[in-house]
Amino acid sequence: MIRFVFADLRRLWAASLVIVLLVALATALGVAVTLQERALRLGSARAADKFDLIVGAPGSETQLVLSSVFLQPAALPLMPGEVLTKLIADPHVAWAAPIGFGDNFIGYPIVGTTTALISGTTTGFTKGQMFAHEGEAVVGSGVDLSVGTEVKPMHGAAGEGGETHADSIYHVVGKLQPTGTAWDRAILVPIQAVWHIHGLGEDHDHAGEANADHNAAAEGGEEHHHGHIDADAPLDESFSRDVPGLPAILVKPKTIGDAYTLRQTYRTTEGTRAVFPAEVLTSLYATLGDARTVLMYVAYGAQTLVAAALMLIAVIHVAQRRKQIGALRAFGAPRFAVFGIVWLELLLLVAIGVGAGFGLGYGAAEFLAGLFTAQSGVHMPVEFTTSDAVLAATFLTVAALMAALPAALAYRQSPVEALRG
Amino acid sequence: MLPLALSGVAISFPGLAQPVLSIDGLAVPAGGRLAVTGASGSGKSTFVNLVSGLERPDTGAIRWRDTDIATLSESRRDRWRATNVGLVMQDFHLFPGLAAIDNVLLPARLARAATAEIKARALELLSRVGLSRPNQSVETMSRGEMQRVAVARALLRRPGVIIADEPTASLDTEAGAEVGRLLLELADQEGATLIVVSHDERLTERLDRRIRLAAGRVVADTAAEVSP
Ligand SMILES: Nc1ncnc2c1ncn2[C@@H]1O[C@H](COP(=O)(O)OP(=O)(O)OP(=O)(O)O)[C@@H](O)[C@H]1O
Ligand SMILES: [Mg+2]
Repeated sequence: MIRFVFADLRRLWAASLVIVLLVALATALGVAVTLQERALRLGSARAADKFDLIVGAPGSETQLVLSSVFLQPAALPLMPGEVLTKLIADPHVAWAAPIGFGDNFIGYPIVGTTTALISGTTTGFTKGQMFAHEGEAVVGSGVDLSVGTEVKPMHGAAGEGGETHADSIYHVVGKLQPTGTAWDRAILVPIQAVWHIHGLGEDHDHAGEANADHNAAAEGGEEHHHGHIDADAPLDESFSRDVPGLPAILVKPKTIGDAYTLRQTYRTTEGTRAVFPAEVLTSLYATLGDARTVLMYVAYGAQTLVAAALMLIAVIHVAQRRKQIGALRAFGAPRFAVFGIVWLELLLLVAIGVGAGFGLGYGAAEFLAGLFTAQSGVHMPVEFTTSDAVLAATFLTVAALMAALPAALAYRQSPVEALRG
Repeated sequence: MLPLALSGVAISFPGLAQPVLSIDGLAVPAGGRLAVTGASGSGKSTFVNLVSGLERPDTGAIRWRDTDIATLSESRRDRWRATNVGLVMQDFHLFPGLAAIDNVLLPARLARAATAEIKARALELLSRVGLSRPNQSVETMSRGEMQRVAVARALLRRPGVIIADEPTASLDTEAGAEVGRLLLELADQEGATLIVVSHDERLTERLDRRIRLAAGRVVADTAAEVSP
């Protein structure tokens, strides 16, 4: 029977190919949506894994998380610098580190921070070492710069262009191991350098501007408070006084209990806001889930259409082959074999289509994830789970049931009518 | 080798006043050779359908030795036909895309009856009908060759009866003569009862007995002429 089925499909290869393609595309649509959403969820969750608690100025919690965890450029309001001083001294805190944005270099965001954050969120260096002077930089694994390269910061967030800070240059001294987060695409510099470049903090050249109420995060480039790096100045990470306003602080609480205490404290403290990125992401996932649901309905619609089209093709096909099918019985094939042939042929085509669709959907999701990773640095794990096997099994079960209709038509085909033709 | 006995057989179709076929009594001995002739529409194919169990009569009995196939269910008749009847039709009903040997074996395979012995027999039959290339795809064959494949297929499971409906009508004279000769020769060798519906006099006159149908009734019977 199998041999006959294969011979038959080979003979009708063009139509078979069309059916396989239809099924594959409809399957791929659903599979790609599912995989993509899962990848986005897993990838973002893993990217936020090391970011326990983020403290910022009151404003959008989502924006605070997107900007600090995913380094999405946006104008964040600033909170007073003393918050950092207080946090570092807090007994509930293991470490706390400022996150300062502002410049970029050939599309990579330059983020000002501290050695504590780099050690606390990464697994170490593939090359070189930690910055030790104001003019030194450490790059993420996804930054295409090698140790020793010079980095001339461009003013403004990545993608905004802007002019260079002519006389400030960082030297890359270390390259980090991959973390699968957005920070893989970042150039990390001492926060004091970011302050100095924008004429903030204890700047010996522009002391008067130190506490200016302005936004280091995204000035947009109209208003320049030029300063420059004192490249050989040693790192100062005490942050005990005169800390300029900050967009975000990453806090590593000592225990989970401490995390809740800290959130409570800095949520209610005037001028600050504390969020768990994981919690913000969860609410984002709800939205993502809604989007997925909509897309899945689209996919289901497409699959239903394909299923209906397939039924039509199958029924017409059986009708066209009435003679052959009936003759099989006249010459001694059992009725059940006739049913089996039609059923098996259809199921085989659908199975190949579903298989190809899973491959295609996986490929599409990988491709999209690749684009997303290239753009954001966040690694997107495209992976199948058992629920996908269940989905595939469901498809095949539905196909098996649906193929039974044309097969039953073939089963009921009268051999007399077939022979009369 | 099966003997056939029809009694009181009639079949009508909706919308037709007269029965399409009505035979009060007809007997063919085991190993007999019966030719059925008659004008178009006289009921010849209907006769074939009834005696091969493809169709059931409204009334009457169609007894092949001890089995009255008129009483069998559709699937029982299918099974009975598969083991007892070798059918040869005017349009060969071969399956394109399959080789000659696979066409011969197809019904047996689908019935899970294709033993090694049957496979060997299929090859042997193909050579007996004069086909030397069992792996040739049937759509590349001449019509005469196709009908010979159909004859080999009909004989595969050593049927007790060979029933042919216009086996030579879609062939040229020469190929038709060859197929007719093969049918007679193989029925002899295999010891099968043979029933042939045909207009082809050169074929029918070589059979023991000829009946002629008109409007569903036997109007002439050589057996009756011999012994009035
Ligand atoms: N299923 C059916 N429904 C209605 N009428 C039918 C049916 N089958 C056969 N007939 C009628 O019965 C008559 C005999 O048909 P049959 O096919 O037996 O003729 P035939 O002798 O084989 O003719 P031909 O030589 O043209 O093949 C025809 O008039 C046909 O129209
Ligand atoms: Mg006929």
